[in-house]
Formats: sequence, C-alpha cells, structure tokens
Amino acid sequence: MIKTITLLPGVTLRCFQDKRFKHAFMSLQFVREAVAEEAALNALIPAILLRGCEDARDLRDITLRLDDLYGASVGALVRRIGDYQTTGFSVSFIDDAFALDGDAIFGPMMDFVKSLLLKPLLENGVFRADFVEGEKKNLIATIESQLNNKRAYTMSKLLKKMCAKDPFGLPRLGETEQVAAITPESAYAHYEKVLAESPVEVFYVGAADPETVAQTVTPLFADLTRNAADLPAQTAFVTCGGGEFTEIMDVSQAKLAMGFATPITLRDPRFAAMQVCNTILGGGMTCKLFMNIREKMSLCYDIGSGYYGSKGIVTVSAGIDQSKETVVRQEIMRQLDAICQGDITEEELEGAKQWLQSGLRSTHDSPGAIEGYYSNSCINGFHMTVARHQQAIAAVTAEQVAQAAKTLTLDTVYFVKGAQ
Amino acid sequence: MEKRIYPNLNEQIFWDRLPNGLQIAVVPRPGFSKKLAYFVTDYGAIHTEFTMDGVPYKTPAGVAHFLEHKMFDLPGRDVSAEFAAYGATPNAFTGYDLTAYYFSCTDNFDPCLRLLLEFVSTPYFTDESVAKEQGIIGQEIGMNEDNPDTRSFEMLVEGIYRHHPITVPILGSRESIAQITPAVLNACHKAFYRPGNMLLCVVGDVDPETVRAIALKALPSTDDTAVTRQEQWLEEMTCPEDFQNANMEVAMPMFHIGFKSECPEKGEAAVRAEVVGDLAAEVLFGESSALYLRLYEEGIIDGSFGGGFETVDGMALLTLSGDSDYPEKVRQAVLEEAKRIVKDGVEEAAFLRMKRSALGRRIRDLDSFDATAFRVCAYYFSGFDYFDFPRIYRDVTVPEILEFLQRVVTEQRCSMTVISPKGA
Repeated sequence: MIKTITLLPGVTLRCFQDKRFKHAFMSLQFVREAVAEEAALNALIPAILLRGCEDARDLRDITLRLDDLYGASVGALVRRIGDYQTTGFSVSFIDDAFALDGDAIFGPMMDFVKSLLLKPLLENGVFRADFVEGEKKNLIATIESQLNNKRAYTMSKLLKKMCAKDPFGLPRLGETEQVAAITPESAYAHYEKVLAESPVEVFYVGAADPETVAQTVTPLFADLTRNAADLPAQTAFVTCGGGEFTEIMDVSQAKLAMGFATPITLRDPRFAAMQVCNTILGGGMTCKLFMNIREKMSLCYDIGSGYYGSKGIVTVSAGIDQSKETVVRQEIMRQLDAICQGDITEEELEGAKQWLQSGLRSTHDSPGAIEGYYSNSCINGFHMTVARHQQAIAAVTAEQVAQAAKTLTLDTVYFVKGAQ
Repeated sequence: MEKRIYPNLNEQIFWDRLPNGLQIAVVPRPGFSKKLAYFVTDYGAIHTEFTMDGVPYKTPAGVAHFLEHKMFDLPGRDVSAEFAAYGATPNAFTGYDLTAYYFSCTDNFDPCLRLLLEFVSTPYFTDESVAKEQGIIGQEIGMNEDNPDTRSFEMLVEGIYRHHPITVPILGSRESIAQITPAVLNACHKAFYRPGNMLLCVVGDVDPETVRAIALKALPSTDDTAVTRQEQWLEEMTCPEDFQNANMEVAMPMFHIGFKSECPEKGEAAVRAEVVGDLAAEVLFGESSALYLRLYEEGIIDGSFGGGFETVDGMALLTLSGDSDYPEKVRQAVLEEAKRIVKDGVEEAAFLRMKRSALGRRIRDLDSFDATAFRVCAYYFSGFDYFDFPRIYRDVTVPEILEFLQRVVTEQRCSMTVISPKGA
C-alpha cells in the first residue's frame, strides 16, 4: 500500500499510488524538535521562500508558473506533531492525464519546487530584507488573528497553560515577539541549518508509480550537503501542576475549555480504547456530552471533546451562557464519571466504534486524508495502518473503555467570558 | 435513468425525475469506499414570504435554519443514533437559498439513504421541542455575534441591498425565532419539502437504479401543493450605505468590500455570468494580477485577502475581504485598477493562462465528494448541468470581462464594512 524508499540518508519518500485520483498531493516536511527559540523561524521560512526564487522572481511570476501548470498549488506547511515541529511545503497538481495536448505537469512541478526550496533570492548572502519584513508582518497578523475565532483561541490558551513545561504547548507558529526579533541573517542561518540537519519526510499520493516518483523527487535533495541526525523519540505529557484560568473579553457567548491528562498515548496498546472513550464522551452527534448538555439540557450549541494522542491529552470545549459555567462543568464531570463506572450502552459503544471505523475507511478516498493520516502516523511514532487501526478499534470492549476513562485526570481549565 | 458521459473529465452522471417530481442525480465513483448523499431543498433563509394553495404566508426570520435543526426529530426515535449504528454521520446546513441534509458512510448505504429520506420528509414538531431548540439556537446566535467575519458580511449586504431579503441573517434573531411555532414549521415544511422542490444527489460506488428504487418507495407518490414565492426584487444599482464600521474583539482591522451586480437569469446564462464574474475577479485582484502583487508587496494586504463572485437567488455580488490596516487604500486601488484594465485591456495569452488555472482547480475539486455533490446541487437549482463547466470556461471572452468590470466595479455600486479592534 505505502511504499517507503530512502532517497538519500535522512530523506524518506513514502509513496501511496492510487490511480482513482485526478490530482496528486505531496508534502515535503523537514522535521525539527519543537523548541521555543525555533518555532517562529520554522514557521517563517517557507513563507519567505514562497515570495520568490531565481526562476520566478516575485509573487506574480510564481503564480504565472502555477497557472501554466493547470492551477497547481504550493503552500507553506508547518505542523506541530507531538514533540516535533515540521516546516516545508504542501504541493498539489492535476495528473498529467488531464492536461491538454499531452502537457507534462509532475516533472516541471518538481523542477519548480526545487527552485523555490533551494534557489531563494538573496542579497548580501542572506534572504532579501523586504521579503523577510513583509512575511514577518503577515505571520504576526496570522498569529494575532487567532483571537478572531474564540473557540480555537480558548483551546490554544488552554494547551499553552496546561503544557507550560511540555513542548506540546509551544504554539505552531511561534510567538509575536519571536517573529519580530527575526532578521534576514538569522532566518537564512536557520534555513541552512534546517536543510543540512533535519530528517526529511516526503509523501506522495497520486497516480504515478513509486519508481517514477523516486526518480522525479530525488533531484530535489541530490545537491544538498546533509548531516542529518535522528530525533529523540516522542514523549508523553508531563504536567506542570495545572490550574484554573479565566479571561475577560467582550463576547456574547462564553467559551469553556477543560484539559485532562492521561498516560495513554497513540504509542500505548490501550490507544484504541482511549479513542473509543473520547468518542463516547464527546465525538459526533450521539456522544454523551452532545446528547445531555445540548439536546437534553439546551445549555449550548456546540460541545465536544478531542484526544491528542501524540501526547496523551483529552480536551472538552463548549460555547455556553456564562451564567451556566458551574452546571455545565458539573455535567461534563458527571458524564465522564458515568463512563468510568462502565455506564456505557451497547448502542453507545457500537456507535462510537462505527463512527471511528467509518472515518478510517474513508481515509483512503481523498489524497489529503491519506497524506494526513500516514504522514502524521509516521512522524508521531505511531506507525499505524488503517487496516490495523480498524482491527484495534473493533476489539475494544466496554470494560477497556471504562479503564481508559479512569486514567483521565482534570489538569487545567480555561474560561473566556464577558465582563458582567 | 438518463446517463450522460463527460469524457474530458472522466465522469458520468445518471439523471432521473420521479413521477412525484423529485430530481435524482447519481455520480458513480467506482472503487471508492465513501458514499455521500445530499438531499436538498430549493428553500433557504431568504424565502420567508410565499403563497401556498392560495394562502399568503409571512414567516419569521431564521425559520429555514430552525426547520433544519428540527427535522432531525422523529417521534420516539433518535435519528443521529440510528445513523451512528450504521456507522454514518448525518449533518445539514442552511444557506440563503437552499437547505441541504446529507450523510456519508462506507457501509449500510441503503438503510442510511432510507433514513435520510424518511427524516427529512417527516414533519414532527412539538411545543416542547421548539422551546428547547430556541435555547440551542439562541446560543448559536451568540456564537455568530462573536464571529467578525459573519458580522462583517451581514453588515455588507445591509449596506448594499434595500429590498432583497439577504439582509436578514440566516439564523434570524433571538426575537424572530421566539415567534416560531410548530404550525409555522409545518407550513414551511409542506411548502418546500415537497418532492418536486427537492434534489437527491449521490456520489459514490452505488447502483443508480437502487437509489431510484429507494427514493420511489420512501417518498410520497404525488406532489400537488401549489407554491409561489417572490424570485426577483427590484434593486437600483446603487447602495444605501457606502461605508459602515463596527468594533469587535479582533486583532487587526478586517474589511469586506462589495460591488453590486445585476442578478443573472437562470440556466446557462447564470453560470456564464458566474464564470465571467469569477474570471473578472481573477483579472482584477487574483494572485497573478498586478494589483495583488503591488498591494501584497506594500504590506497593504496579506495572505487573508481574497474574493470572488457570489450569487444567491435574485442577487449577485463581487466581494473582496481580508485583514488590513488600510482598507480604504484597498478600495481606492481596486476602483482605479478596474478603470485601468478597462482602458488597457487584457492580453489574450494571460487570459488563457488564467482560464487554464481556474479550470485545473475545478478539476482538482472533483476529487472531493462534498465539493462535487454540493456543486451538482447548486447548479441544478440554477438550471445547469455542472459537468458542462469546461465548455463555459472555453467560451468566455475578454470583452465580456471588460464589460463586467466597467459596469460593476464603480464607486456608486460599492459598499465597504470595516471591523476594527476594540479601543481603536
């Protein structure tokens, strides 16, 4: 299914050939250990590279090239995966078969990506100052505009507080002050370090066969002087003591976020029980939180839970009337306690398993979902396949779900509410 | 069923209309696990006034969306749990001019489809369940009030339209939804959830004849309700407000700019108008345009900038939006650039490249089940076969683009809203 090819030392190609798709999707990720000093640099570098290269000297030239390649796209890709942060590009383009008059797309697209990655426009031996300053301003705007989505904002504040001593709390794009401090020199020095030292993960989903993909992608990295070292293994969550935090803001609706710790990560054999547990608690429209707090008690519009399996964290979030904070919190704890007590109906268990299975089965139906699942799985140290994952879910019992729920301890609460 | 083949797209689609008026479209996807069904009514937030069997109705704002929430209730049953038992996820959304119910699954497609058709066609509303939903939707309204993007767009259309009902928010208000009763919901359901007002679109590895047979059995066999509603609103091509401002909890100013356009007719003319509007947006401020490059390099716009041509029954609008410390500069620059392009023209080669790019993006989107199903439905209600889009792209000419820019991108058709940070 997935063919893994080591293109060069430290450069891994994972190839998922599938002729059903009309387009190919690729990710090129340089994998870094997440550290506070680097987060903003890793986020900024792809944005600088996408401003211009020797073969396409400004944004307009870049877009014209992509237009010629039938609306192909290349975007900055920055992910936080457990203890790691990745930086690079995502690339997508239609299959050669759909081009007019036998035009080739894949080959020319890789030539262009190589140019963007390795031939940036320089002045005085470093990145152009206007590109760096412009993209710093954009990155700061992106970081600060997270405030606009109050639910995501509350969740990111929760994780930051909860993971004050864990790299998982580092924001994906870094902090405003760190972005502001970047210079063309510091950005370029970091870029060279990333190219030389980082393990590289290349993922391809599309109609081409793995040998063709390997041949077409290898030239991207062939000229690099590489000295890649292995990264330390992913680790489980370490609490800093937790706590309760309230922020006052001018909002109509309050946002509640609760963070629970568990020793069960995706690398633990009990991961499937924890996924089912999370789904029974707060996944989809038949979970305990939705059925009770929304449908029975009309206390909210949206409520749900999430399992961050790379770390071992479960979060619950809800948009509520701020006067109802106490009753909502009590009810959330009551529903979790019910799972611990084994109060799980056959319908709940089977419904949750079916829900997870259905998501897993349709993973193979979209290039983006395939890339997301397998690439994250490899980088996480999960090394799972959809088929094995399905077996693991199918085998979960209600007793195992209750045991998994008992490992959850409330660690941190973050509440955003209005002034009155 | 009628099978149409589109060799250039490697696609086919099966069409049929049942005796009760229901339109069916099946897009086969051999070899895929996922199956997606959309059951859509040609009824949305703007359709608050109508006449049914000779009786006029004026319904509260937000009723289409309220109805969407309440359709998931069946007497003594839990629809979501029944879907969950099949491993499927149902969902729904309400737009300005349509409401869609859908599910995706990998197994148990046939019972899921029966359940979808059953719950959407079965009205069941009680005083108690309506009161409960008023609490839930009240929270949803609160959430929307805190969403600057929604707020900015709603202000924009208020600034552009005098008569068109798009000025009424999809969710309505706490006051308007308080007026909703089971009787109101029953009337709206009877008027618009008739088979003749609906489309069933399925994407996936399914047998089209089975879809047809299930629909035939699950839905009423006749549809004899007569409903009329307003389709056109007389709008002058000027805006009641050219500028509006509000303060919210945002990090930097956010703007929406709209240019009012004539409402296109139905059918191919509508789709052609949409493609012309889209390509005109691309020429004027798309990522390969001179204007985009200049504003981006000067730091006036950033990656959040974007826009396009939007159509809703009875209206059409060219919009741009994004975050910027200088929204007025954006507005001025767009107006000036449109004049320049109209004067200097567009090079044929550049135009071809843009068409190719737009076409490539649409082809990529065909790999998405949801995008495919949604477009097939939306275009059907506009009276057009979606998979014919490559032909429209090929046929559109530069003079059409220039005529659009000259007519639409003018000061008197322009309105702008800005959401500024608190305390600014």
